[in-house]
Amino acid sequence: MSADLLDFWKSPEPPPEREETGFFTDTTLCIGCKACEVACKQWNQLPSDGFLWTGNSYDNTVALSSTTWRHVAFVEQFDGDGHAPRWLMMSDVCKHCVQAPCQEACPTGSLIYNEFGNVYLQQDICNGCAYCVAACPFGVLDRNTEDGLAHKCTLCYDRQKDGMTPACAKSCPTESIQFGPIHVLRERAKARVEELQARGETDAYLYGAERAGEYSELNSFFLLKDRPSVYNLPEAPRRPAAHLKRNWTASLMAAAGLAAVSAVLFGMNR
Amino acid sequence: MSTSTISPPVRSESAIEPLAPPAGVRQEGYYGLPFLKRPLWGWEISLYFFFEGVSSGAFLFFAMAQLFGGRRHRGLVAASRYVACAAMLPCPLLLIKDLGRPSRFLHMLRIFKWRSPMSVGAWALNVYGQQVTLLALAELSARLPWPIRPLLRLIPERLVMLSAIPFGLTMMAYPGVLLETTSVPAWSKTRFLGPLIAASSVSTAAAAVSLAVPRRHSEVEIMGQIAHGVEAAVLAAYLREAGPAARPMTRGRHAGLFWAGAVAAGILAPMAMSWGKPARKRRVLSSILSLAGGLALKWVLVHAGRDSALDPEANRHASRAGASAPGWSAEHH
Repeated sequence: MSADLLDFWKSPEPPPEREETGFFTDTTLCIGCKACEVACKQWNQLPSDGFLWTGNSYDNTVALSSTTWRHVAFVEQFDGDGHAPRWLMMSDVCKHCVQAPCQEACPTGSLIYNEFGNVYLQQDICNGCAYCVAACPFGVLDRNTEDGLAHKCTLCYDRQKDGMTPACAKSCPTESIQFGPIHVLRERAKARVEELQARGETDAYLYGAERAGEYSELNSFFLLKDRPSVYNLPEAPRRPAAHLKRNWTASLMAAAGLAAVSAVLFGMNR
Repeated sequence: MSTSTISPPVRSESAIEPLAPPAGVRQEGYYGLPFLKRPLWGWEISLYFFFEGVSSGAFLFFAMAQLFGGRRHRGLVAASRYVACAAMLPCPLLLIKDLGRPSRFLHMLRIFKWRSPMSVGAWALNVYGQQVTLLALAELSARLPWPIRPLLRLIPERLVMLSAIPFGLTMMAYPGVLLETTSVPAWSKTRFLGPLIAASSVSTAAAAVSLAVPRRHSEVEIMGQIAHGVEAAVLAAYLREAGPAARPMTRGRHAGLFWAGAVAAGILAPMAMSWGKPARKRRVLSSILSLAGGLALKWVLVHAGRDSALDPEANRHASRAGASAPGWSAEHH
């Protein structure tokens, strides 16, 4: 009993640091088969989202949600002048930001960086306050109506612990989704962009491979062929906590200022 | 994956046809869908911001009147103590009700995190709530029978009051910071929501205290007017700084409540009614309008955030690349 009480105050030893891992999603290789969506749902035992025809090309999934952790976006580009059309496909996923707004916002400590440097949501700690939902600049996090908790991609933490590749990357038939040590992926992605550029595909670029202003690099980053907004990604995501100092200063100064004025008023009329 | 070059097919001169967008195609967005998720806070948080504002503002009156005021402020001190405690009581209930899993409210107090305004607020409410309750009980002690009275007399009133000041100020200041520290366009593109909610706390508290206090205290009324003035100025600054991001408030389905409720009834009418020496009836009406307007302001602020996050154009506009935020885009490379 007394040993249990003492244990309560001791925080458990975290697992030893491992090599940082992530995803590189090369959208030029995506064929829109949605194997990643299915594999993710199967491995993580995520329920179906119902049967819905959106009419938005082949995208009947619409967006990432608490029960959808991979989402394939389909973009059809026609100009109506008989030019060859272009089809863009992209398998979207949690960005596993190196400095993640959801982790910074989480008041319970449910959202953590695990030993692989991935952003992981501990389901038994989350209390459904939904601050992460408002904090994520990519709209990844979502609260589920069934259990009232937030859910998101775990980067198959359980599989990684057993030395396995995450389900989506494993199932991807074209290696559009690549999993591995993050520094290897970043090198490979750079080489891939150079290769595409040399072939004349000058619009190929990396989204999230490096830091941009206040926003950290993403451990799950993308190779894109058009502007981010075309894939429903923010061009320049803001990191909410980067403005904390400014926001607190303005707010506390207002509160303290009003307190000072009332002190003077009461002091003058005593 | 190998990065070796692929040998070009024989039939084509240009080897591989670059997959450039067809000429003349420049889409905006993705099927008119937002990329943000809507924040899930609703009526509970609107009411919570209102009540905790009244409470922290009333506490401020009580603390300042006791520290700097004189004997004639005795009634004011007592009334504002009761108001501060009464308005605080529904706060924890509203916060717990708002959670997806209310039974896990205590997980909020698992850790403390400066980075998370919600963590700061949860801890501040926890400490402040107990302090304000103790102070109200101490005030009540004179009216209670033995053995409760001598027990309550043991409360070190002055010490509790002094130590509650930083927590009271945090309670006033944090709701705006909490909203600003998100990715929601209407909330995050500004630094004025904190001062706005703080000023609204003081004006609604002045109204509540002046309704509760038996004698008229001009200081409370003057403070209410000053707070209304600050509110008006900060609101204008917010609308200017947020620009199009504030549209869900000024033009959306909450526009009526915003203009008629928060601005006209909550700020302009009480200011206009303060001219001259207002009679009691006019003062009561003005206080009720201030309270209703303060509630409307918080209601609109919280609910407009939802509309703002679901507006794809606002999403894109708020995350557009600029000098301070280079972002990642095709033009960038």
